Amino acid sequence: MPWLAIIIAGCLEVTGVINIKRLAMKKWDAIIWLIITFGSSLALLSYAMQSLSMGVVYGVWTGIGTVGSALIGMWIYAEPKDWKRILFISIILASAVGLKLIT
Amino acid sequence: MNRYWSLVVLAAVFEVGWVSGLKHAESILEWSLTIGATVITFIILPITAKYLPIGTVYSVFAGLGTVGTVLVEMIFFEEPFNLLKVLLIGTLLIGVVGLKIVSNQPETSKDVA
Repeated sequence: MPWLAIIIAGCLEVTGVINIKRLAMKKWDAIIWLIITFGSSLALLSYAMQSLSMGVVYGVWTGIGTVGSALIGMWIYAEPKDWKRILFISIILASAVGLKLIT
Repeated sequence: MNRYWSLVVLAAVFEVGWVSGLKHAESILEWSLTIGATVITFIILPITAKYLPIGTVYSVFAGLGTVGTVLVEMIFFEEPFNLLKVLLIGTLLIGVVGLKIVSNQPETSKDVA
């Protein structure tokens, strides 16, 4: 169950990120969605941390969030798909997940 | 453009504040500051997302937040210092700087044309 919780928490995080973008486009209902998605996402994280180590939980969560936001940006909002951009996002991703796993 | 990148960095600074707060806050004042920092983060991010790609905003925000949290834990809360951490902080910063340079390119070429 903790792994399912992390995956759902990651999906909620990505939904939250979509709402950051929607809020940027002045869709004010996004404020409520932001609170619901990030709130429930963090609640699921703390549940997962009861049985798994904090580094693993936080690392996987950050990974899903970063990859998810990059993909959503490219698919829904037509953000640049050039290989250099994807490379640097991947470097940030690998370093952040690595840091969370070892701390 | 640079202004919005600075704001993403600022959002990450506030993130470090509330992540540390969630972990270490004890008094009502500390909890209030933690909640305040969370709110400020989520006010700043949509402003930056208006002008920068959301994929860029979130990776830089999450990445720098992680670096900041690791540094704060090492400097203020006596987490052990190790070489791998420093190395990963280095590669992460290379990623952020690289992403910034790549993001500026279309604008520069437009200026030239």
